[in-house]
Amino acid sequence: MSSTPNIAARSRFAPSRDAMQALYRLLAVALLCIALTALSDVFFTTNNILNVLRQTALLFLMASGLTLVILTAGLDLSVGANIALSACLAASVIKATGSPLLGIATGIGCGAAIGFANGILVTALRIPSFIATYGMMWMLTGITYYYMAGDTIHGFPPEFRQLGSGYLLGVPMPVYVMVLFLLIGWFFAQRTIWGQQIYAIGANPVAARLSGVPVERRLVLVYAVSGAMAGLASLIILARINSAQGDIGEELTLPAIAAVLVGGTSLFGGSGSVAGTLIGALFLTLVLNGMNLLQIHSSWQPLVTGVIILLAVWIDNRTRRSDA
Amino acid sequence: MKYLTFSVTAVLAAIFSNAASADGETIAVFTKNLTNPYFQAVRVGTETGAKTLGVKVIQYVPTKPDSIPEQLSQVEDVIVKKPDAIVFVPVDYKALVPAVEKINAAGIPVTNIIDRSAGGKFVAFVGADDYSIGLATARTLLKAIGSKGNVIIIEGVKGSLTNTDRVRGFNDALKETPNVKLLASQPANYQRLQALQVVENLMQSFPSIDGVLAANDPMAVGAIEALEGANRKALVVGINGSREAVELIKSGKLLASGDFNGFIQGCIGMQIAVRNLRKQPTPPEVILKAIVIDKSNLTAYETPVEQRTCPTLEQIVAN
Amino acid sequence: MSAHKLTPASMSLARVPGVAIVLAILCATFGVMSPGFVTPANISNILSQSTILLLLALPMTLIIMTEGLDLSMGAVLTLASIALAITVVATGSATLGFLAALTVGFCFGLGNGVLIAALDIPPFITTLGTLGIAQGLSLLATDGQSVVGLPRSIEVIYSGSAAGIPLPVVIAALAYALTYALLYHTRFGTYVFALGGNREALKLAGISVRGMLIRVYVFGGLMAGFAALLMTARLNSAHPTAGIGMEFDAIAAIAVGGTSFERGNGWLFGTLLGVIAVGVLRNGLNLLAVPSSAQVTCIGAIVIIALFIDGLRGDR
Repeated sequence: MSSTPNIAARSRFAPSRDAMQALYRLLAVALLCIALTALSDVFFTTNNILNVLRQTALLFLMASGLTLVILTAGLDLSVGANIALSACLAASVIKATGSPLLGIATGIGCGAAIGFANGILVTALRIPSFIATYGMMWMLTGITYYYMAGDTIHGFPPEFRQLGSGYLLGVPMPVYVMVLFLLIGWFFAQRTIWGQQIYAIGANPVAARLSGVPVERRLVLVYAVSGAMAGLASLIILARINSAQGDIGEELTLPAIAAVLVGGTSLFGGSGSVAGTLIGALFLTLVLNGMNLLQIHSSWQPLVTGVIILLAVWIDNRTRRSDA
Repeated sequence: MKYLTFSVTAVLAAIFSNAASADGETIAVFTKNLTNPYFQAVRVGTETGAKTLGVKVIQYVPTKPDSIPEQLSQVEDVIVKKPDAIVFVPVDYKALVPAVEKINAAGIPVTNIIDRSAGGKFVAFVGADDYSIGLATARTLLKAIGSKGNVIIIEGVKGSLTNTDRVRGFNDALKETPNVKLLASQPANYQRLQALQVVENLMQSFPSIDGVLAANDPMAVGAIEALEGANRKALVVGINGSREAVELIKSGKLLASGDFNGFIQGCIGMQIAVRNLRKQPTPPEVILKAIVIDKSNLTAYETPVEQRTCPTLEQIVAN
Repeated sequence: MSAHKLTPASMSLARVPGVAIVLAILCATFGVMSPGFVTPANISNILSQSTILLLLALPMTLIIMTEGLDLSMGAVLTLASIALAITVVATGSATLGFLAALTVGFCFGLGNGVLIAALDIPPFITTLGTLGIAQGLSLLATDGQSVVGLPRSIEVIYSGSAAGIPLPVVIAALAYALTYALLYHTRFGTYVFALGGNREALKLAGISVRGMLIRVYVFGGLMAGFAALLMTARLNSAHPTAGIGMEFDAIAAIAVGGTSFERGNGWLFGTLLGVIAVGVLRNGLNLLAVPSSAQVTCIGAIVIIALFIDGLRGDR
């Protein structure tokens, strides 16, 4: 790949190009919104917009940590399975102790520990991330099935439920969490040395190592963060649906990856952003929301989503080329 | 390397130490997945039934939920082991017919429970009548909303036998009440998070929803959470009669749940399989009566499945 | 990146351990612990069960060698199986049905190849998109129902045998021989090796990289079409979820078999061993009646252990 190995050059150079890309993507979101407003009279209402944002928040939280992993040219296929185990453990802790705080600590801690284990597999054991996290996915799923034994844990205290279904000043709580982590993510990736080092690892790991980046430690960090975000997402899900079941994380991984990729982060690493992922998550959520509002049968959903992913990335490629 | 090899073998040996040792009859039980509490109730039912009869049970469940090729492989593997009898819930009632034919060819007697297989030879079929349950559960809801207003249907997995029949029952109940309008009928694949989001989106299109007919309990729970999140009021019914549903009926959040009793289907299926092995007479078919659980008959369902006792075949057939 | 110029033989020596050790441990453990394991019936059982996965894993090995990926394979297999079943039910002709399956495979392979090679969309995203398309078409074509009513002539393809060997095993052996010949004894194979490790050299030699990539994905699509034939015969029906997720199983088997994801070094025999190891594991765990939740964990552990052993070898 012809990416720039020089960290200094990247930090000056990349954001402006990424900003242009983000602008194109915002334009696509705006066009989609205009189309939906024309097609459905309930789309452009406060309620529905808040509804879309709340659903986006969940997808974004899963995808934001994953963005960092993909920025290093890695992948985390264990996100969904991580969410399932973290949610089930957190649910048990809340049920047993009645303390939402302990539950939150359990969820995030479990997620981070799983992410840390992924990081160790990828760095110390040198297993390609795709396979390491795929193996991890199976192991976590097995543990979750064993732990839950086909049962459901439900009914959490109202304080905890606020995290998922509560409102503050008329805006759903998950939206605040989303904005908070968008800012943290943006600051971390764009404005800290560690963030820049993550971009450098993705762009060219050899050059990054030569210029003194502690590649292994940063990679472990990145996987741990991705895991912790999965843990956080699991808490939002718990708080929203008020129950945990072994299959809670099923079918969440691929949409999260899709959100990152539609958001313009490259699988080859080194280019993309957490803000882009938000746009990707928003875009995919809008598509599903639109299909529900227009009463399009859900059998169409995989087909439409597939076409949209391809279109988005293809347009992205074209605009990227015309920039260069 | 030697140490590694050794430890791997040790771990494997530890996992297998609880594996089968054959004394008395061995019955293999096939269910669809490890995640839905419903099939856990079925498994507990078969084991409770087996305990009273003194037989050994081995459970086979696809590691990928509802995987057709995997259940077929498991059947092929189990035929090698030759259990005395099989109690079988097909993952798909049509696609697993070749599996049943293989069991038939191997001469192992097989009892079909829950989803009626489209082919193959069985000792008996034990099931609930999904259509009647759907009909009765929907009637409960429609009566409670005063036979007028707007309802939505949340469907399960497209094409599954249970879903097709339950939704048909819902729709037939709706035909009896012309003043009730069906606003939308959307699938959420028996999953609560999907149901939550589908209902959230449908609430945007429909300012007034009086009732939600969900084809299983987890989706009913998802619908309840969506309604609560938007501060909207509607009556909700589900199907399965799960522990969660019973608690929600008690607290007044769920109106009713159709009793698709996995525990009883499991233990009756086991009883028939064993009776057949012991050359005792068995009925060719047992269909459980459609019961709707609501506040009026709740107490019987508050006992956790693990502590319930198996009704005898005679009790069930007499009903 | 320096190209690793290795002959197939020297690569085999470097790679045997991971997957071979795992396979040997599994066979020894199951052989001792389960009396039914080492019987002709069970061995033919394991081999037959592994054939569909092998048909996907063979072309996937080539695709991974070009530093690509095909996530759509399970969904394309499913759609091809549905096309086959619908055609056979409608026309009564097994030949037409088979052609329909191959056509679906060919079209998706070509589509994947064109998007990846000509439009420069990364393979992961391309095939994630086509996965959705194939899955959506399967649902729409069947409304979620099984397609049944196939004549017995289809079922025989899976249940029949030639000279005592199950037909699916014969078909898989032919597919293996074909892929082996393609990879190690044709110019196409040489280019596949070069596509992963040494793309620039290929360009300098005036070979169309795009054309080669498209051919690799078309090969993948066609093999998914063949796999659909076996899957349909096995189930004697087609179902819109039958093949979902199989691409990940194939990729895991390939990784266990020692094909590298980063340098474009593939090892076809390793893929064969990897597929059989997965088959042996599942079969053995079922024979020992290990609870499913433990089975799930074992599968993940085996994947990681096999790669860990490979990693150890690589270090020394």
